[in-house]
Amino acid sequence: MTATDRPVANPLVVLREEFDDWAILFDPDTGHAFGLNPISVFVWQRLDGKHTIPEIISEMKKTFRDVPLEAENHLREFIDNLLENGLAGYEFQT
Amino acid sequence: MNMRLMRTPSAVEVAITGKCNLRCLYCSHFSSAADVPEDLPTSEWLTFFEELGRLAVLRITLEGGEPFVRPDLPELLEGIVKNRLRFNILSNGTLITDELAAFLAATRRCDSVQISIDGSKAATHDACRGQGNFYKAVQGLEKLKRHGVPVTVRVTINRTNLEDLPEVSRFLLEELQLPNFSTNSADFMGVCRSQADKIQLSVADRSRAMTLLWELEQKYPGRITALAGPLYEAHDWLDITQAQREKREPKNGRGHLTGCGGVFTKLAVRSDGVMVPCVHLCHMELGRINRDDLGEVWRNHPELTRLRERGEIPLSDFSFCADCQYLPFCTGGCPAVAYTRTGQENHPNPDYCLKLFLDKGGRLPDVHI
Repeated sequence: MTATDRPVANPLVVLREEFDDWAILFDPDTGHAFGLNPISVFVWQRLDGKHTIPEIISEMKKTFRDVPLEAENHLREFIDNLLENGLAGYEFQT
Repeated sequence: MNMRLMRTPSAVEVAITGKCNLRCLYCSHFSSAADVPEDLPTSEWLTFFEELGRLAVLRITLEGGEPFVRPDLPELLEGIVKNRLRFNILSNGTLITDELAAFLAATRRCDSVQISIDGSKAATHDACRGQGNFYKAVQGLEKLKRHGVPVTVRVTINRTNLEDLPEVSRFLLEELQLPNFSTNSADFMGVCRSQADKIQLSVADRSRAMTLLWELEQKYPGRITALAGPLYEAHDWLDITQAQREKREPKNGRGHLTGCGGVFTKLAVRSDGVMVPCVHLCHMELGRINRDDLGEVWRNHPELTRLRERGEIPLSDFSFCADCQYLPFCTGGCPAVAYTRTGQENHPNPDYCLKLFLDKGGRLPDVHI
């Protein structure tokens, strides 16, 4: 089995949308909550096991204006944080 | 003071039953508008928990009545877990078995079970809660601890346990080794209304309770808490008197009816499925679960809007507050007690009036802040 290159959100984690497109991620098993800005919410909603990171960046550039060059690094850091906290993972394929 | 409204409540308080195995003398449930004959069946609650999950509600508090009287409690908890919620339970502790404690621990979603313990010994606790219930409550608490379930204790201060407070603190914090406990006092609600003169603290009792709790707080720093009752009042009122003396600028929202922000974060449901703003404002019927859309009720019900706008009502609008030197620093207190005392939610709570307390001979703790 090998991991795909398409990250997927942990289905147990709750995305709770709050004000002005900001949101929190809530892990009900730990009670931990993490704040998300609107771009992070956009990314989270594409962690569906169908999008690669370059595809998410491409969509991001089409949706938001003035996406900086370092956005790809930030996005990878964000996803790494999600992985470290058990909020996302990669699906395996046989 | 304008507060923005979330799309859905982050927490919901649910009275899963109106039944209780005890008849405590100051029970806020019986004889109130929450005291309805019907309990919803399991299937109705499970359907409702699915809605809470869809709306990304994060936490649910199960209360009653006594939640542990429901034989289907494990099934209800499974429904809560399945819908990605965490939960708290408010209980008298007397019906908790080892099996139930193990079940709660295994869910990994329990924030806490709050047990009511009012005394350091049976005589004090049982005076208001009924014979034999002290030992049962403590046994229930021990079972939860043994299984690693987070447990908290609430002490309701009344005339019968006032002088036991030092021993209660020693018992809970030293003997049972709880990290902390919280306090409130018997309020003018439910059953308590018919025997308030026997149960509720008098002005002299409240003064005594404040002094005792203040001393106990120094002895056990950070381990005795309160969101209402004498300890909370002591802190708030000492701050008010000092602010007034020093001619400080009032904090944001003070001088208006800002005593409770609950309607901005949570909603409650009666045991018959009727949605209400708070378990203590059960006369304000907002709709019924599984028939009315909770999100719609939350965002648009005119009664909720009216309660949310109470923070814009200046205390100077009330003749009750006329000529009060503390007015710019006051919040008006709890709307639910305001209702039981005056018939209006959007009114200052007379039981939370510092001026009235002092005029009747009340004394704040003798401390230098």
